[in-house]
Amino acid sequence: MIESEEGVPNVLNLSEIAEREREEDERVVEIVREFGAENLIYCMQCGSCAAVCPLARVGFEWYNKKLIKALLLGMKEELLDDPTPWACVACNRCTEVCPRQVSPFEVMFAVRRMMVEEFAIPTLAIEGLRALYEYGHAVYMTGREARKKVGLPEKPPSTDSDEQALKDLKTILKNTKLAKLGLIPMND
Amino acid sequence: MSNDEKPRIGVYICHCGENIAGAVDVKAVAEFAKTLPDVVVVRDYLFMCSDPGQELIKQDIRDGLVNRVVVAACTPRTHEPIFRKACEDAGLNKYYFEMANIRDQCSWAHWHEKEKATEKAKAIVAAAVAKARLLEPLEDRYIELTKEVMVIGGGIAGIFAALDLANAGFKVHLVEKSPSIGGNMAKLDKTFPTNDCSACILTPLMVEVANHPNINLLTYSEVESVEGSVGNFKVKVRKKQTYVDWDKCTGCGACLDVCPPKARVPDEFNEGMSLRGAIYIPFPQAVPKKAVVDMDACIKCGGRDFSGKEPRLSKSGKPILAPCEKVCPTGAADRTPYRDPNGELVELNVGAIIVATGYKVMDKHHFKEFAPEHPNVITAMQMERLISATGPSEGKLIKPSEIPKLLEAKKKGEKVEVEKPHTITFISCVGSRDNRYHTYCSRVCCMYMLKQAMILKEKYPDLDIYIFFIDVRTPGKDFDEYYMRCRQLGIKIIKGRAGGIQPLPDDRLLVKGYDAEIGKPVEVVTDIAVLATAIEPNPTLKELARTLGINVGAEGFLKERHTKLYPVDTMTEGIFIAGCAQGPKDIPDSVAQAKAAAASAMSLLDPGKMTVEPLISEVNKEKCTGCGICVPLCPYGAISLVECEDGKKKSEINPALCKGCGVCTAACPSKAITLHGFTYDQVLAQIKTIARWPEIPAE
Repeated sequence: MIESEEGVPNVLNLSEIAEREREEDERVVEIVREFGAENLIYCMQCGSCAAVCPLARVGFEWYNKKLIKALLLGMKEELLDDPTPWACVACNRCTEVCPRQVSPFEVMFAVRRMMVEEFAIPTLAIEGLRALYEYGHAVYMTGREARKKVGLPEKPPSTDSDEQALKDLKTILKNTKLAKLGLIPMND
Repeated sequence: MSNDEKPRIGVYICHCGENIAGAVDVKAVAEFAKTLPDVVVVRDYLFMCSDPGQELIKQDIRDGLVNRVVVAACTPRTHEPIFRKACEDAGLNKYYFEMANIRDQCSWAHWHEKEKATEKAKAIVAAAVAKARLLEPLEDRYIELTKEVMVIGGGIAGIFAALDLANAGFKVHLVEKSPSIGGNMAKLDKTFPTNDCSACILTPLMVEVANHPNINLLTYSEVESVEGSVGNFKVKVRKKQTYVDWDKCTGCGACLDVCPPKARVPDEFNEGMSLRGAIYIPFPQAVPKKAVVDMDACIKCGGRDFSGKEPRLSKSGKPILAPCEKVCPTGAADRTPYRDPNGELVELNVGAIIVATGYKVMDKHHFKEFAPEHPNVITAMQMERLISATGPSEGKLIKPSEIPKLLEAKKKGEKVEVEKPHTITFISCVGSRDNRYHTYCSRVCCMYMLKQAMILKEKYPDLDIYIFFIDVRTPGKDFDEYYMRCRQLGIKIIKGRAGGIQPLPDDRLLVKGYDAEIGKPVEVVTDIAVLATAIEPNPTLKELARTLGINVGAEGFLKERHTKLYPVDTMTEGIFIAGCAQGPKDIPDSVAQAKAAAASAMSLLDPGKMTVEPLISEVNKEKCTGCGICVPLCPYGAISLVECEDGKKKSEINPALCKGCGVCTAACPSKAITLHGFTYDQVLAQIKTIARWPEIPAE
């Protein structure tokens, strides 16, 4: 079981959530819509997405269907510490089965973007970003020694070993929101 | 075919697909039937009621092979008329037909005992053949039909039934118990799924009813008694005393404001959220727009009590009058003439009756868990009044607890600050789908909650609106699209019926619920809680049903003859039902049903006469001793003792009233009464066959 109860109280006070939205003058639904979850409001909570979601199967609490409902209720702060959106494997099965064309996968990713804005990123994700910037791989391959041992070049034939490509990638990344947020060092 | 011809019986056995053949060995029954006396033809067929099945029978009759027909199949209740018609079409008297029910009474009942079922089917067929040998030809009777219809209830269903009939040329008597027609629909603000204004679409129809030359509008009236039967009902209608001369009343409303505070009572039209005087016009668009005096509320100012007394005189010699009569410009409210508290009894002769008495919404006080005493916990019908332009706050959204303050200020002509709600919470299925109250779904609550939420959210976008649903049920044309529109407006839908409401010290309410979609208890602090209370039959419906002789189901609504095939008919011929009296339904469905009921009444009455089966009882005056035992037994009052030429009294049966139930026939000690189609000999032949089974009695 993945414990994700930290940010979500046992009893949700919907009035407090609404009050917070009013104070901050932005509706959570609108935030995630701007981040790509355009069809969120068409969700009728049928549950097909959850039926095919690997996250739900392995016990993550805020899988697609529940996450969508939480957003519709205006929950945001409660979800910031939750690891579920980061565990999404982008398999896109949910998008295929959704009868309302909500694209729950897009919702997952919109929530990631919302979390990044709030600096609510798990360490693992920061590591990924750093690796992306440094080597051009979010999930960086370890085992350079092993590669050498079997007679392979130390770096794989990808961005990692292509100086120009890596330079271009860094330029691109420096022009994204990532640079503005300053989540990782982007010095060179 | 003459009567004295020797019977030549054809037996036709139906497989009813697998329904009969699945348990009964049809071939074995057919072989057996061939051995029965006077049977000349035996055939079996997959569906005897189909065209080719009926053709088998017709061909045998036309070929002169058979002159009596026995069909062993399903129930005569549904299929006897079909086979009788087939006999008649082929030139045989249709009462030379007998049906053996080997499905409902045999194959279905003994599905797992195939051998025994086959044996029983044989016995049933043998009994039918025994009766068929003794059948007599009979002729249909006709009764004259009165081409007038009474419609009970002047809501949207009654209005449409009355208008359709009146437009088709039938005289309609529309009986409504309140002073105005319009019913519950008149109280609604807007109507789903198009959000048109209820009054705007209803009022023209009400006016059309009032002005229609074929409609006799009887408002403030109730049905007192109904006698007779289809085509000729004799109805007594009580026109209640209005205590206002309606010929003179112009509906100006001058009397309404002067009625003193002591005589003010909760206003039914505003669901008790404001007060009305003892003299009142139910609502601004009332039809007819006439005042009535509610005698339970009237305090009889100046001793003015309609008893026929002249008014007392003041010291200055002026007559002391009640404020309402003093202010009335036409003298309609004059309290000097005697007015009979019993009103007036009107007698009607009608051929058919349509019952469209509508519904009432359940009271909130049953639900202690929802703080019903709190003024800001209201029913959805109260919410309709709160947002209606003719409501207590004239359509301004305020907290219901502020209404008295607002009305007081209005009376004084002052301006006053009243609190407005910021949050409104709806709770579904209050009293519906609840074994403690009503097990049924009230069918319209989901949609009207969405409608009210939508109207409010569109008008006041800053409102926070929550709806607690067990399920969202939107099975109608354009209904689910309507629901989605609500969601897009940002109305928050919580799946789960709220469990309780707790009043907070600051006059707000804490709604405690559970969101099954995220699996957590939730709480909402709300200013107004709206309970979608169940739709119930009108409390007087049971008594009316008794008066009319029609049935009421377990849930208290009128029972239709057949759920699918005869949805607007009742078990009493000539009485039809429409609208919420039959069960909860929305306006489109009520109107559709009203039009169906009107069409059914038309097709019944339009020919002017109807065929009546000759299967009724007749007294053999030779045998009758005049004991009179049969007279009180007849459930239809069809039997009377009449003096014969020899001066003796003998029983006589009115064929127009007799329904052929057979009670008198069975009771007559001298066997003087014959029930045609079920004579002693015929019934005894059947019984003997069964009783002596498997031996077949020779004669």
